[in-house]
Amino acid sequence: MARVRVKTFSVVRDVLGSDVVEIEVDKPETVGGVFDALLRRYGEPFRKMIWDPNTGEMTPFLIRLNDEMIRSTSDMGREIKEGDKIALIFPLGGG
Amino acid sequence: MAFRYGGYIGQLLRVNLTNKGITKEPLKEDWARDFVGGVGLSARIMYEEVKPNIDPLGPENKLVMMTGPVNGTMIPAASRSSFCAKSPYTGSFFHSIFGGFLGPEVKFAGYDGIVIEGQAKAPVYIWIDDDKVQIKDASHLWGKDPFKTQEILRKEIGDEEIHIATIGLAGEQMAPYAMILCDIRAAGRGGLGAVMGSKNLKAIAARGTGGVAVPNVLKVYNTAIRLNELIATTPAVQGLSQYGTPRMVAAMNEGGILPTRNWQTEVFQGMKNITGEAMREKVVKGHRACFACSINCTKYSVVPSGPYKSIINGADYETIYGFGSCCAVDNIEALCKADELCDHYGIDLISAALCISWAMECYEKGIFTKEDTDGIDLKFGNADGMLEMIEKIGKREGFGAILAKGTREASKIVGKDSVRFAIQNKGLELAGHTARPFPACAVGYATGPRGGSHHDIRPTPEKSGLVDRKVLEGKGALAAEVNHWLILCDSMLLCHLGEPIWGPMKISDTTIEALNVVTGWELNYEQARKIAERQWNMIRCFSAREGFTREDDQLPIRFMEEPVPEGPMEGSYIPRETLERLKDDYFSYRGWDLKTGNPTREKLIELGLDFAIEDIC
Repeated sequence: MARVRVKTFSVVRDVLGSDVVEIEVDKPETVGGVFDALLRRYGEPFRKMIWDPNTGEMTPFLIRLNDEMIRSTSDMGREIKEGDKIALIFPLGGG
Repeated sequence: MAFRYGGYIGQLLRVNLTNKGITKEPLKEDWARDFVGGVGLSARIMYEEVKPNIDPLGPENKLVMMTGPVNGTMIPAASRSSFCAKSPYTGSFFHSIFGGFLGPEVKFAGYDGIVIEGQAKAPVYIWIDDDKVQIKDASHLWGKDPFKTQEILRKEIGDEEIHIATIGLAGEQMAPYAMILCDIRAAGRGGLGAVMGSKNLKAIAARGTGGVAVPNVLKVYNTAIRLNELIATTPAVQGLSQYGTPRMVAAMNEGGILPTRNWQTEVFQGMKNITGEAMREKVVKGHRACFACSINCTKYSVVPSGPYKSIINGADYETIYGFGSCCAVDNIEALCKADELCDHYGIDLISAALCISWAMECYEKGIFTKEDTDGIDLKFGNADGMLEMIEKIGKREGFGAILAKGTREASKIVGKDSVRFAIQNKGLELAGHTARPFPACAVGYATGPRGGSHHDIRPTPEKSGLVDRKVLEGKGALAAEVNHWLILCDSMLLCHLGEPIWGPMKISDTTIEALNVVTGWELNYEQARKIAERQWNMIRCFSAREGFTREDDQLPIRFMEEPVPEGPMEGSYIPRETLERLKDDYFSYRGWDLKTGNPTREKLIELGLDFAIEDIC
């Protein structure tokens, strides 16, 4: 099990209730596992913000894993470890 | 007689300000079918009617305000309209798009668009009251700011519901980046307000009581319902109602893509005070939407007292980027005041902000002293200095007169290598969307007809991770397909805030559905794409005819020479040789000549643009 810190913004932050939340991730200790854990804790409101009900798929976005940028579309299998910091670079667009 | 296709009125209004001629002419069916409306149709009209190398501020230039077939129907995120002209700022065809209600109102009055030509001898405004159109004296409005002008006109005409496009002092003085304010939204970029001012045209006011006919109302209704559901449920659209476009300021900063201190870096330490969240907490008092739109992106913000007392419709992300992180000002109330001042004078806030951030960098590097800046301390972060300088730009007074020329011209005047800090392409300052880590976005900016516009290209496919940002292969094709969905939307006049629905990688099926259901067409993807490709090539032909070549397709020097110095995108940049490789890729995909960057004879024939062959091939 790994405990990580997850940072979110805007409407996703509103669902989580705080700029940063700590969450424990059971195996698999991966980025995808972080989202599974968040979904278990925050349920449907979190799902609505991340998974597109029209496609059933997770909306694409970048993720900052410590100081590295990774992609939700290809890097959900990336391993995480105790103390990692994850930020969801989302939502984007507009302006 | 009803027009052959749904969604169109079938009539253009032509106003000649030189001879005071007002004519109504039928919309050409084949042009509607080949160029749709909005920017595409305007480009076709401009290519036909405006000779090359004319003075953009002379009577030969034309100002075309155009709607699209979807405008004025119940389709959401579809209420925008376009102003087009040869730009005095970039020297080529330019389109500036605005939201709100004016476009639908012009259609309700009975016109798909307005072609304005010539030059009035004295200030005038155009009053469109359904089929009654008048050119009226505007001498009492000259010198008034846009909102005051609107207030006077509404009172004078006796109708609070009219919708008005107007210029401010900057437009009257033909300042290079003067904008047109359309009710509360702006056709901000490219100096089209200066074109309007050059014609002595202070305002266009419209009232319409008609409607827009579609082939099958129930089908349009069902599409509108589905689109509203998409807007309500698509995750990437969420947050615009609550926070407006500044919803992503904090996320962008965390991702190391928030342009800061005139793009010297892309991480802003003072970010927390200028986010959408900070705005909502401190200044936002309400929300406003455009015609038939369920997104509600516009925020109504009030600073009730103090030195930054102001009332604005915003601030939008570009205000936060330009006057906030780029000028390193972390006071949201000061940003509201900056926004208000730009509207007051009628200047494009992106260009104004980037001119000031450029001057701030020059000041901190010793190129300017207080003697040069009229005694204003222009160090980064000085909100009051920034606001004073906006006033000077608006009045074209002292040092402000230099900054009012834009960074390209100002850096030529100043010299001393200051061109290295000018964040512009083709003369237009860049909006707040970085390209240094995103090659498709970079080649899109470089080849974009407007230069620094984030609406000729979008970083979204790379910024969202839909494609691998580190890979160069295929980025020319990606940029071209993003061009296509953008230009088709700008011809239908769909709002780009619906990007996840209309795009974001290529023209979406939903976009085609919206066009088909309103017009009665049965376009498939290839046919819709061909229309978009034709539109894009038409604009490229206009630029080529003006003398633009591949050499003009550039990026700001900083993007090509200075890697991002910190944050998660540290090290990212687009070296010159990479840009040239990307341009080869892009031109090859488009079937354009690699040496000149012009569409080839074969491509023009393929797209039905044969008439341009003798001009550019």
